[in-house]
Amino acid sequence: MNQSRRRRIGSYFGTYAFWIFMTLLTLIPIWWMFVVSMRTRVELFGRPNLMLSRLYLENYSNVLTDSAFQRYMTNSLVVSTANALLVMILALLATYALSRYKLAGRDNIFFWLITNRMAPPAAFLLPLYIMFTRTFRLGDWTLFDTQLGLVLLYCVFNLPFAIWLLKGVIDGIPIELDDAAMIDGAGLWGVLRHVIIPLSAPGLAVTGILSWIFAWNEYLFAANLTSVVARTITTALAEFVTVTGTNWGELAAMSMVTLVPSAVIVLFAQRYIVMGLTFGAVKE
Amino acid sequence: MRNPRVGWALLSPTLIILLIFGFAPFIYVLVVGFFDWNVFAAEDGLRFNGLDNFRRLVFDDLFLSSVGLTIRFAVFAIVSEIVLGFVLAQMLTRSFPGKSLFRIIHTFPLMVAPIAVGAIWRLLVIPGFGPVPFFLDRWLGLTYQIGTYPDQALMTSVLMDIWHWTPFVTLTMLAGLSSIPREPVEQAKVDGANRLQVFWYVTLPFLRPVLLTTVFIRIMDAIRTVDEVWMLAGGGPGTRFTGIYIWRVTSPAASADWGYGSSVSLITLYLTIVLCWLLFIAISGRRKGEVE
Amino acid sequence: MANLPPSAPPYQREEEVGARQRLARSDKEPGFLPIYTNAFDRVFISLVILIGIHLLWLRFMEPALPIEVATVISLAIGIYIVRRG
Repeated sequence: MNQSRRRRIGSYFGTYAFWIFMTLLTLIPIWWMFVVSMRTRVELFGRPNLMLSRLYLENYSNVLTDSAFQRYMTNSLVVSTANALLVMILALLATYALSRYKLAGRDNIFFWLITNRMAPPAAFLLPLYIMFTRTFRLGDWTLFDTQLGLVLLYCVFNLPFAIWLLKGVIDGIPIELDDAAMIDGAGLWGVLRHVIIPLSAPGLAVTGILSWIFAWNEYLFAANLTSVVARTITTALAEFVTVTGTNWGELAAMSMVTLVPSAVIVLFAQRYIVMGLTFGAVKE
Repeated sequence: MRNPRVGWALLSPTLIILLIFGFAPFIYVLVVGFFDWNVFAAEDGLRFNGLDNFRRLVFDDLFLSSVGLTIRFAVFAIVSEIVLGFVLAQMLTRSFPGKSLFRIIHTFPLMVAPIAVGAIWRLLVIPGFGPVPFFLDRWLGLTYQIGTYPDQALMTSVLMDIWHWTPFVTLTMLAGLSSIPREPVEQAKVDGANRLQVFWYVTLPFLRPVLLTTVFIRIMDAIRTVDEVWMLAGGGPGTRFTGIYIWRVTSPAASADWGYGSSVSLITLYLTIVLCWLLFIAISGRRKGEVE
Repeated sequence: MANLPPSAPPYQREEEVGARQRLARSDKEPGFLPIYTNAFDRVFISLVILIGIHLLWLRFMEPALPIEVATVISLAIGIYIVRRG
């Protein structure tokens, strides 16, 4: 008894050693950023000390009370949330159409959706800039540097993945349920409200969460298509380095703040991340 | 009972948004790439100049070297990620107490904003107080400075990419491994196959679809990498990847030569589409003589 | 490119195998390309080759021979692929 127990622990020993090592590799870079965010500029230089010497929160309070940072933060929150909601609604309608109606060229539409997601965004920066500053304008108002512009633009990479993710979910709802509801006199909205939305709620929630984080994480479009008013938190991070290249403590504090949503999402939606990133091609 | 018109109506908002923000830009670079359009020229406007933009492009050493660098980056990063991810997935197929905790921690980098990944690694390698250059110098006597040595900068980007994306490979591989049925493996063992043979003749064929999908998605991502590498090295030597090059050339703030910028975008899209298609062919297994 | 590869193991994909054999049979004669293609695929391949040849021509052959030669060559290859691929 005792011996077999010891042998079992022994067989776990290698596994644990391996995983503790991997966990350290994952966490040390983040830990170091946390340590940097807890130090004054003077304390940083010299022999790198990986231990936390004291709780020094001034970097955080400087960043969080800065009015520009608050604006960036609000922009990021507004843009990501609005985009996630828009994507959930549009993707639900589009997927329902693709799943239940016989539309000509359905497969080609799917292929085209994927190419939208795969194209390198850098290649589209120039035309988008011209569209945003010159094409879409009403008098003095342009789409450039507005939250609305980013919300619509982020659909380009979020909608395709959302539709792919939801396709599997909605295809899995038996069409007989739709028919039964229709026989009971429900219209299109009735079917959506009483059958599709309740049954696809978990998938819809995952879609929303992942769209939200992708929009929150986006940098390139935000950096090129906003200037002052609609700047997001990721652009602020990048600017921090080029403008005030020396204040590493505040940079680290700011980065730590942007990590919070990622951590929350990994905790709660971990199982669906793979499906989201592979367009449902790989399921767990 | 189901009118296709209703279907199209439901689909139309999605199609309109994607046509405007996804497809129109493509048409735009397709046209403007054949024009000379310099915003600061004496007369603003487009002048048709045929293939001149492309003539300039194929001799643009900065562009060509950026393509070469991107390929090296993608190969180093993706090969390491696949090998490492496979090993990690294999380790996760056994169950042991605390597995889900390790798995959650391992998944964490995946959801971190690329720009924050860049910031994390920049803090690690920055000369002056970053631990990496300090300890490399102290323990191994190596001079490590990504601003000066292109190879070190490239390898740091590769390591950063591995840190960021290996979890993705691990999770897809795990999904693939757990979908493999037991019987063929058992059968092969009964037939006297050793572990390597089982891996090569049973596991690998079953994993093929997942493996190729993973490689496909990783290659597309590697080509698009801009934010994290920009944040890490600011476009210093060794990290001027194609994405960063296009960004710099087409950035309205940095350049006024919009015709040339469009042609660069166009060629990058061309390379991406060719690669995408080749990979798709490989995935869908349409090779002749395979099925008959 | 209707969908990305199914994660289902190969033995569940008999449907696809059948489709592939049908595709092979429906071709009048097997083409020289190493994959099964339909007309759209062959036009796409020709287009890719056309662009590739033009770019390489601009880089290496331009001073000696004008670009129109590349156009003629790649159109010829394109027609050959579409007809015989």
